[in-house]
Amino acid sequence: MRPQNLLHQPLTTQKCTLGCPILDRCLGGAIPCNSITELVAESGSGKTQLCLQLSLSAQLPASHGGLSASSLYLHTEFPFPFRRLHQLSTNFRSSYPCYDHDPCDNILIQGVHTVDHLLDIMPRIESFIKNSKSRLPIRLIVIDSVAALFRSDFENTPGDLKKRSSLFFKISGKLKAMAMSFGLAVVVTNQVVDLVAPDEGINGLRVGNLGCLYSSGRRVCPALGLAWANCVNSRLFLAKDDEYVHQNNQLVNGDDGDFVSRRTRRWIHVVFAPHLPNLSCEFEITSKGIFGVER
Amino acid sequence: MEISRLPISASQRGKLISGGYTSLSSLSSVSSFALASDLKISESEAVEILKVASRGSRLGWSDGTNSVISGAQNAWDMLHEEESLTRITTSCADLDNILGGGINCKEVTEIGGVPGIGKTQLGIQLAVNVQIPREFGGLGGKAIYIDTEGSFMVERALQIAEACVEDMSEYSRFLRNDVQACQVKIQPKDILENIFYFRICSYTEQIALINYLEKFISEHKDVKLVMVDSITFHFRQDFDDMALRTRVLGGISLKLMKLAKEFSLAVVLLNQVTTKYTEGSFQLTLALGDSWSHSCTNRVILYWNGDERYAYIDKSPSLRSASAPYSVTNRGIRNSDPSYKRIKMM
Repeated sequence: MRPQNLLHQPLTTQKCTLGCPILDRCLGGAIPCNSITELVAESGSGKTQLCLQLSLSAQLPASHGGLSASSLYLHTEFPFPFRRLHQLSTNFRSSYPCYDHDPCDNILIQGVHTVDHLLDIMPRIESFIKNSKSRLPIRLIVIDSVAALFRSDFENTPGDLKKRSSLFFKISGKLKAMAMSFGLAVVVTNQVVDLVAPDEGINGLRVGNLGCLYSSGRRVCPALGLAWANCVNSRLFLAKDDEYVHQNNQLVNGDDGDFVSRRTRRWIHVVFAPHLPNLSCEFEITSKGIFGVER
Repeated sequence: MEISRLPISASQRGKLISGGYTSLSSLSSVSSFALASDLKISESEAVEILKVASRGSRLGWSDGTNSVISGAQNAWDMLHEEESLTRITTSCADLDNILGGGINCKEVTEIGGVPGIGKTQLGIQLAVNVQIPREFGGLGGKAIYIDTEGSFMVERALQIAEACVEDMSEYSRFLRNDVQACQVKIQPKDILENIFYFRICSYTEQIALINYLEKFISEHKDVKLVMVDSITFHFRQDFDDMALRTRVLGGISLKLMKLAKEFSLAVVLLNQVTTKYTEGSFQLTLALGDSWSHSCTNRVILYWNGDERYAYIDKSPSLRSASAPYSVTNRGIRNSDPSYKRIKMM
């Protein structure tokens, strides 16, 4: 056994861009390799959008912040958003006209139904990555979403919860081992549940930089609990909030009887990450994709 | 008694003890003639006994302090030794205060907390601080960093190393501006080179590495810190036999304690938290169970108090229970903002 010499590796971990320079700058370069990044959000916040966009931008060369790699997209919620992927890839092609091939060729999709199915296909994934004959090697794995695998098969009894948490560590252990041997970036998405508990003091359940996670005006916390929080390296929270704006663009409270419009604002927060401080960034979702906003 | 360790016959031994010769030092000053007349044995027998006794004392069976068991020390010597050992600073004065100056060598310290509280940050900070040269009050040693989770980011370690070198130059400029300033010879890249980084991916690799550490450290005598981040990750997968897990963990903790004592280094283990159902409510507790909680000399728990990070001494034979705030900045672990500062003694 020999220790790794830290100076023989590049002095910054390689990262995969998200396709938007503002978001990349906010997240310290975006998604790092050799670790698991978790995206937590309630439904409709943009997790899948971000994952699709990431799968496309991973194909960019390192000079543009990408990994020159294809990606493996494991989805647990059906159906897979093919139409949206097609829309995003058309935009990708028009932004980077020098790439003549169809970017969708480099996104490999696999549906996963249960946890056992996921554990079964892990060895196949590993051999597939090793002997990949596609044009670009696989260096990004997306699992969208990991919560859906666990939320129906397990009861709320201590025995089942214990089994469930040992499965978390097993899956996370295998993903991390693969990430290390092949230099992969792994992104998993997670759902949220409502939170009704206090989280102060030494028994508190506060995890990370944000005391409370708010989305759509409700206090939420990531699903799958404390055990899963120990399995990921970084956690990013996507929040959304509806604002009611008066026609002169002032905020409104109460009903004025005047014409008001509703605007959805979205933020991405760093809940915890070994290389990032407490950062937040606002973003918006357009037909062309997800882009950071600097106000 | 040392006499009982001499390879002499039982009757000779009995005669020696009843004659009042109970320790090797009492035999060192007696002549063979006096011994023979005292014990009523022949002079040749007495010469033989004295020869064996002198051989025994040359082999180190008795040391000058008259101890009964080899390797034992008296408490006075131990106190002196402990006071002369430098501790590893955490770069946060409040945290150093409650730790009695920093992380102690020859002990196993366990640090646990929820995800995102700063365990890996503290680990990297200690791996950098152990390398602070002796002229600046540090140990000038190297560090072994065992990473089981993949949270170690080289750029973060470089950032912390650069901040440490800057702080050292600032300190030397501030204090020694009349004398030739003690140039900080160590550079951030040297600091990174002195961290022996191991990345392990399964519990079998973890066990094998810890077994290998003794050999590694005897070849690299200047290692002064062994940091394991985290000790729990690979052990929380399903072990069909929990008793096996307890035995394996017990073996690991014994080896680590032995390493700490034998090579006079600090062992720091980072642990995760889990919830335990006690007295009708769920409480946060460090993972790996109750039997593991006995395996470490000191235990520190990191937790959130409002918007601040706090460290709490949960178990220590020599430190009192106290908590102190700290913060994680882009330069590493530092004191928390003075407007919030409070140290609570319990």
